Amino acid sequence: MKRRLALWICLLLVWSLLPMLWQLISSFSTAESLVNGSIPFLQRWTLVHYKELLASDPPFWRYLLNSAIVSALTTVITLALAIPAAYGLARVPLQLRRVLRWITVAAALFPYVLLFLALLELARRFSLGNSLIALAMPYSGLAMPLALLLLTSVFESLPRELEDAARLEGLGLWQRLRWVLVPLLAPATASTAILVFLFAWNEYPIALTWLSRDELLTLPVAMARIAGSSIYSIPYGAYAAATVLGSIPLLLLVLICQRQIVSGLTNGAIKG
Amino acid sequence: MLHLNGLGKRFGEQWILRDLNMQVDEGECVALLGTSGCGKSTALRLIAGLDRQDEGSIELDGEPLDSIPAERRRIAMVFQSYALFPHLSVRENLNLGLKIRGVSPAQRQQRIETVLDTVRLREMADRRPQQLSGGQRQRVALARALLRDPRVYLLDEPMSNLDAQLRDDLRPELRQLILQGTQPVLYVTHDQQEAMALANRIAVLKDGRIEQIGTPEELYKTPASQFVASFIGRPQINLLPVDKQLTIGIRPEDVGFDPEGMPCRLISREWQGASQLLLLDSPRGALRMLCAGDLSLSEPLHVSWLTSAEHRFDAGSGHRLAE
Repeated sequence: MKRRLALWICLLLVWSLLPMLWQLISSFSTAESLVNGSIPFLQRWTLVHYKELLASDPPFWRYLLNSAIVSALTTVITLALAIPAAYGLARVPLQLRRVLRWITVAAALFPYVLLFLALLELARRFSLGNSLIALAMPYSGLAMPLALLLLTSVFESLPRELEDAARLEGLGLWQRLRWVLVPLLAPATASTAILVFLFAWNEYPIALTWLSRDELLTLPVAMARIAGSSIYSIPYGAYAAATVLGSIPLLLLVLICQRQIVSGLTNGAIKG
Repeated sequence: MLHLNGLGKRFGEQWILRDLNMQVDEGECVALLGTSGCGKSTALRLIAGLDRQDEGSIELDGEPLDSIPAERRRIAMVFQSYALFPHLSVRENLNLGLKIRGVSPAQRQQRIETVLDTVRLREMADRRPQQLSGGQRQRVALARALLRDPRVYLLDEPMSNLDAQLRDDLRPELRQLILQGTQPVLYVTHDQQEAMALANRIAVLKDGRIEQIGTPEELYKTPASQFVASFIGRPQINLLPVDKQLTIGIRPEDVGFDPEGMPCRLISREWQGASQLLLLDSPRGALRMLCAGDLSLSEPLHVSWLTSAEHRFDAGSGHRLAE
């Protein structure tokens, strides 16, 4: 039983990691070696894709920075609004809570691509185009339902008596949030933050329509530009290098928050 | 002095607490005794301000509490689950409230050290609640209540999560720490033995109303209803139906051997050391009887009791009938 489980896990790992490995290898391979299988193994390696990416104008790290700014801002805004909202939602009477939860689920499931024309109109009307800070607004709004759902269920799972005890100790509403509830929610907040960050990091259609100046592009848009930069050939190598560079910050983020994510995922499985 | 005037609370149409009138004097401990769901914990939550009553009022030392939020009522409550903050060490658990209430750091430190000594947890001060035993957690909860310097103590089943041995050990401690102060104490429990041992007066609750309130002795000697009679006193009182109007109650310890008495058959016997509990089959129904542990029994057994030891209840309503 255990060995079969191990086998499945290995298969799963291969399934999910192989494309990444492929990208990694491609990014270090010369353009010829990617289309010509007869080039010897030792002669295929190069750093030229990375050099080109970093030497282009604007340099590739600029896109990384833009994406990081938008994603971080989105995460901060979303959490700052979603934590108090989730607290409130977990405290309203059960029937109302059910209705509100269905509305939130509906909002979370709504295909947001359908909104992008309307959002574009908004951006035009209020001149929100070409601003990274403005871009974080629709992002936070779109990430909100999911964050709200995740956080509400954690608030609901906290024993009510903990907050009651804090109240009798003299802690007001914000003090209870600051000193008792938010610290207890830290693991769930971390995993929610990562999901929101990921969403903003990967978002494409809104970024495409709201940003047009080269030096403001976020990563997905910039990568799409690389892919479509030539009509006659597909720049596999450059594309792969961009993918690798683009995933490094995410890997770092996950590594840093690893403990919180794991305990957030298993939240509720173990009694506090 | 704590005054409850006609306190009531309902969820939807269902009243879970109704007409709660009582007074708890300074230094007095009143136990709210009842089965689960009788509204006793609800009463505490209303007094603490955690829930809002639907009728009635609460007064403390002549001043109404109703408009004061829970944060500022200065009422300490010990929860059944202890409700310690799991992310904080023992010391931090005790410190948080003091800090929020604006006590100076030096004074905080001194008061925490003192209370840690009182509850004998100095060595555990830097541990998290998860690393403590049930009894230790319970003492941290008591320490937190002591540091609150409250005007009223509310204890919600503070010992029901502990095993029997620990409960016996903690009872004197609880008495010394909390019950000897000058504050009124309300103690919620479903354990009649605990209520008898700790409280000056006991209020027996049934379906959200007070069935009877009085000293443990009054409740034991003159129970106002069959419900109170069977709730107070262990082993449980015998309730023997006489006719459609009358049920009599006779406590197992009031039944005695008597050569002239009713003939009975011994069904089973629990030997408890100093005493033994006999279950008898008598002409008037099953009968529990308590007798000395060293008594050797020989059938047939004949038992009787004094008429003055009988409690007479109305068979329909269960109320006590006038003598």
